Amino acid sequence: MYVELKHINKHFGNFKASDDVTVGIEKGKLIGLLGPSGSGKTTILRMIAGLENPDSGEIIINGKVINNVPASKRGIGFVFQSYALFRYMTVFDNIAFGLKIAKKPANEIKERVHELLELVGLSGLEKRYPSELSGGQRQRVAFARALAPNPQLLLLDEPFAAIDAKVRQELRSWLKGMIQKLGVTSIFVTHDQDEAIEVADEIIITNRGRIEQVGTPYEVYSNPKTAFTASFFGQPSIFKDYSNFRRFDILENAENAIVRPEFVKVTKKNEVQKYKSSAEEGVVEEVDFRGYGIELRVRVNGVLLTARRSFDQPRIDVGEAVDVFIYRMFVTQGDTATLLENKSLRDPVVVI
Amino acid sequence: MSAVTQSGLHRDTKGSKLVRYSLIGISLLFVFLMLILPLITVITEAFKQGFAVYSKAVTDDYTIKAILLTLEASFFAVAINTVFGLCAAWSLTKFKFKGKKILATLIDLPVTVSPIIAGLIFLLTFGRQSPIFPLLQDWDIKIVFAVPGIVLATIFVTFPFISRELIPVLESQGTDEEEAAALMGAKGFTIFRRITFPHIKWAFLYGVVLCAARAMGEFGAVSVISGHLRGKTNTLPLHVEILFNEFQYVPAFAVASILVMLAILILVARSVIEHKGRKK
Ligand SMILES: Nc1ncnc2c1ncn2[C@@H]1O[C@H](COP(=O)(O)OP(=O)(O)OP(=O)(O)O)[C@@H](O)[C@H]1O
Ligand SMILES: [Mg+2]
Repeated sequence: MYVELKHINKHFGNFKASDDVTVGIEKGKLIGLLGPSGSGKTTILRMIAGLENPDSGEIIINGKVINNVPASKRGIGFVFQSYALFRYMTVFDNIAFGLKIAKKPANEIKERVHELLELVGLSGLEKRYPSELSGGQRQRVAFARALAPNPQLLLLDEPFAAIDAKVRQELRSWLKGMIQKLGVTSIFVTHDQDEAIEVADEIIITNRGRIEQVGTPYEVYSNPKTAFTASFFGQPSIFKDYSNFRRFDILENAENAIVRPEFVKVTKKNEVQKYKSSAEEGVVEEVDFRGYGIELRVRVNGVLLTARRSFDQPRIDVGEAVDVFIYRMFVTQGDTATLLENKSLRDPVVVI
Repeated sequence: MSAVTQSGLHRDTKGSKLVRYSLIGISLLFVFLMLILPLITVITEAFKQGFAVYSKAVTDDYTIKAILLTLEASFFAVAINTVFGLCAAWSLTKFKFKGKKILATLIDLPVTVSPIIAGLIFLLTFGRQSPIFPLLQDWDIKIVFAVPGIVLATIFVTFPFISRELIPVLESQGTDEEEAAALMGAKGFTIFRRITFPHIKWAFLYGVVLCAARAMGEFGAVSVISGHLRGKTNTLPLHVEILFNEFQYVPAFAVASILVMLAILILVARSVIEHKGRKK
C-alpha cells in the first residue's frame, strides 16, 4: 500500500469527525472518497496533507509514518474545493509558485509552467488573473499548480463541485485521462455517486466519520456490505416490512428492505412478462418524463416503489393497474446488508 | 404582484421631486454651514493682515518646532500601531485562543474612552504620584511633560485604527490560499509577503491614513500630558490653542491653516487609496 491510514481518530470539540479510520491505497490508483455531506471526507484529506493532525492513529506514505512531517515537507499536491488560486498572481505565477519556493532556476520554471499549461490546455492564458478565468479554467489552473512540483500524491477536494453540469461531465473524463496518463496516485473527494462511479478506480465510502466499505465501483454498487452503502446508491425505495412480498425469504431481525429502480419491472396487464404469475398488483401514482426514459412511482402492497421504462415500451398512465415484478432487494439487519433474490428466479416457473 | 407593489414603492420614495430636492438641499446647507464656512473663515482670518504676516507666523520657530513634534508623534503612532495592528488583526482572524473576544473588545477601548481620560491615565501611570516614578527618575527617563508622553498618548488614541481596517478583510479571505502556499513549502514570512499582504494592502494603507489623520489632530490626551512647554512639548493643535488664548488671532489661524492643509492632503490620499483599492 502506498498510502495507509491506521486507526485514525479526530475530534473537533466533542464532535467525532473521524472514527477509527483504517484504509490503504495502492500506488498509481485513482481513489474516490464518497459520502454524504459532513461525513468527514475533507477531514481525511486534510489529515493526509498535514493541514490537520489526527488525535490518534498513524498516517503512512510510502512506508514512512509521516504524522510528524509538516505539510510543507510532505510533497503532496492539493486541489482545494474553492481552488484557492492566488488571486493577486497571474496564471503563470500561480503555477510557478511551488517551483519558485523550491528555488528552481528561472528557465526550468518557465519550461515546466509552459509544459503544464499545454497539458491542461490553457496555453496563451498565462498572463491572466484568476478573476479573468471561467470556472473550468480555474479548475485546470488549480490542477496544474498542484502538479507543478511533481507530487507523488495528488489530493482533490470536490474538484468539480463549483462547475456547472455540462462542463463538469467534460472535466471528469478529462481529469481521469490526465491522471491515468501521469500515473500519479490520486484521491478525490465527492458526494456525487455518479461522479465516483464514473471516475474512480476504487471507491471509499464514508459515513459519520467511519469508513463503510472499500471496493471497485462495481463491487460497492452491486455488492454493498453495510446498510448505509446499500441505501446510498441509486434511487432506493426503503421500507420496513417486506413480508407482503411473498416471493422473498424472511430474514430474522430484518430492519429495512431496499429496492432500487433497476430491481423492479413494471408491465401493463396485457404485456407479455416471463414471471407474470409471481408478479404483484400495483397502481401507478406518478409518471415522469426523464432524459433516459420514463420514471414511474408505483404503489405495491402499500409501498411506493420507483421503476423505469423505456420510451419504446407501451405507454402507462397514472391510476393504471399494473403488474410489478421485483427481481431483488437488499435487506438490512443492524449494520449489515444482504441481497435477496426473488424465489421465482430460481424455481422453475410456468409461463402462461 | 410583488413586482407591481415594489415598483410602486420605488416611485413613492424616489419619485417625488420635492422630497428629493429638499433632502439634497438640507444636506448641502449643513455641509456648508458646518464645514465649508469654518474652513473659509480659517483661511480668510489667516490671511487677514496679508501674506507677510501669515508667512511670519507659519515660519516662526515655535511653529516649526510644533510641526516637527506633530510629525514625530504621528510617525511613531503609525509605525507602532502598524506592527500592533497587523499582529492583532492576524491573531484575531487566523487563530483560536482563550480571551479572543476580550482582546477584540479591548482594542476598541481608545475610541470609546474620552481622550482626556487617556491623557490622565498616562499622567497617573508615569507622573510624580506613580509608584514607578522613582524608577523612571533613577534611569533618567522623562515621560510626563516630555516628548515620550506625547508619543504614548498619540499611540493610545490611534490604537485601533489600523487593526480595525484589517480585520474584516482578513476575515473575508479565509485561509485557503495560505494553506495552498504552505503545502507548496512556503514559510510564514513568504506567505505573508506574497499571499496575505497583497490582499490587505489597500485596507492597510487606508488604516495608516486614518491613523495619521487622527494622530495629527489629537488634542485632548496630548494636552493633559504635554505640560504646554512651548518649543518642547507643543504639538500643532496645542500651539494653536496657546496662540488663541494669547489673543494672537492671525497667527493662531495661520497655524490652524497648516492643519487644514494636512487634513486636505490626507483626504486626497484617502480617496486615491479608496479608488485604487476598489479597482482591484
Ligand atoms: N475546523 C472544524 N471545526 C469544527 N468542526 C469541524 C471542523 N472541520 C470539520 N468539522 C466538522 O466535522 C464534520 C466533517 O467535516 P468534513 O469537512 O470532513 O465533511 P465533508 O465530508 O467534507 O462534508 P462536505 O461534503 O459537506 O464537504 C462536519 O460535521 C463538520 O462540521
Ligand atoms: Mg468537504
